Amino acid sequence: MADTDWPGCARSLKGVILDMCGVLYDSGEGDGVAIPGSIEAVKRLKASDLQLRFCTNETQAARETFVAKLQRLGFDILVSEVFSPAPAAAAVLKERGLRPHLLVYDGLLPEFDSVDQSNPNCVVIGDAAEKFTYQNLNEAFRVLTDLEKPLLFSLGQGRYYKETDGLKLDVGAYMKALEYACDLKAEVVGKPSPTFFQSVLNDMGLQPHEALMIGDDLVNDVGGAQRCGMRGVQVRTGKYRSVGSFNLPKINMSPYWPPLGHGCSYWLVKPSMSVCEQPKFPLLRCHLVLWLNLCFYNR
Amino acid sequence: MAGRRALKAVLIDLSGTLHVEETAVPGAQDALNRLREASVAVKFVTNTTKESKKHLLERLHRLNFDLQVMQEIFTSLSAARTLLEQKRHRPLLLVEDSALQDFTGIETSEPNAVVIGLAPEQFNYQTLNKAFRLVLDGAPLIAIHKARYYKRRDGLALGPGPFVAALEYATDRNAIVVGKPEKSFFAEALSNLGCNPNEAVMIGDDARDDVGGAQNAGMLGILVRTGKYREGDERKIHPSPHLTCESFPEAVEHILKNML
Repeated sequence: MADTDWPGCARSLKGVILDMCGVLYDSGEGDGVAIPGSIEAVKRLKASDLQLRFCTNETQAARETFVAKLQRLGFDILVSEVFSPAPAAAAVLKERGLRPHLLVYDGLLPEFDSVDQSNPNCVVIGDAAEKFTYQNLNEAFRVLTDLEKPLLFSLGQGRYYKETDGLKLDVGAYMKALEYACDLKAEVVGKPSPTFFQSVLNDMGLQPHEALMIGDDLVNDVGGAQRCGMRGVQVRTGKYRSVGSFNLPKINMSPYWPPLGHGCSYWLVKPSMSVCEQPKFPLLRCHLVLWLNLCFYNR
Repeated sequence: MAGRRALKAVLIDLSGTLHVEETAVPGAQDALNRLREASVAVKFVTNTTKESKKHLLERLHRLNFDLQVMQEIFTSLSAARTLLEQKRHRPLLLVEDSALQDFTGIETSEPNAVVIGLAPEQFNYQTLNKAFRLVLDGAPLIAIHKARYYKRRDGLALGPGPFVAALEYATDRNAIVVGKPEKSFFAEALSNLGCNPNEAVMIGDDARDDVGGAQNAGMLGILVRTGKYREGDERKIHPSPHLTCESFPEAVEHILKNML
């Protein structure tokens, strides 16, 4: 079985999956702002022998649009390397012969152009931001209650995300609103659904234990990845909050580990923690750049 | 019915039970008068959050219902106000303008609490984010009630419950609910009628909030098939309603014949 402690992990690693918002950049006015060091970090990863993919629950814009935005910020990234919920959802809808009523940001609509939306028999919600008005939610609610078999797809289930002007409600909150109103459970497409992570692993041709997920969301990025058998790193940028996070006991640094920079430490997630069921590997928290230093030091 | 004492009080829901928006349920006015002639106390209890007591009273008068005093009406807004006063909270009030009357005198600058009622105008992204940030930073979230939906003339419409659920999920906190179906609401409603829950019955159109809540508080519940009632609602609560009947007049008939 693969090594379970960090020096070993770093050596047997073959691929890295990066979350985008909160790891590479913070969204906000215009294109948003690149997180210091992240552009460099991506360059270093691409120059290494590790495979690299990007995984995001971004659902305000189509892939082409937000990849172009990241390229403008200076990131070396291609559409083919990016996995997001809308294309995955469009595929699921077509597979199952479903016709959606969409409550999504206008910028995302192109991802559903090839999907029949007449006479809807399900509802799909994404991060609709200002489009989450009472009227729009009510419309979605009525579509659901009129169906004999109400079906709700949620593009992700995040609680909130960080923009440059503060924290904002994410699609998960509105998913819960409709679940409560209709007394049903949504199907989540995107992180942390195992199907979603598996599709990325398939694309890389890797086994879960050979891949590492790096994100700012403990439950949806790291927890979801760990439940698939991947390893997880949580970065202390983006929506990471040091208060209100789960109380994780710290572990002593092993003598094999180089000293980390200020603000970094190791946490061991015990099996009793509800956030990550049966974690196999220690959870590492640090800045992306510092993690990379750590990783390359050990390879 | 062994062990149950004679009926002393009847709690009556308003929207969906006595009327649907501006239309009275047929025969309801006469039924209310017959009930008043019997020796039971009557109180009108409602989770309506859009309207102050004065508004409610005025509408009932327009529809020819016999109510004399505002004290006969007990709303979840009153219950919320009581809580705010007790804890000296300064609330961000997500309630309709028409309901603000019931909060006059309560300080609202620099809010340190969030009160959420049925306020479609306020359930926009910006305002909900404001509420979200306050609660995330520690402000208590007070829900006037958590109704899933209600009946409007143009169909079903989302109640405040889904928006409370959204904020609870986003902040990982639980709201304090002051309206139906909380036990505290029914207890407060009966408190000045001089009777115990097992001497009272609740009539309403919402299986979970009216009947389920009342029965959970020790009362009997009568479910009426008007307002937001949908086929099969009586099977959604346990124990099932003491009685399910067509509308308020039938409920009153049953009470007059069998429960006094």
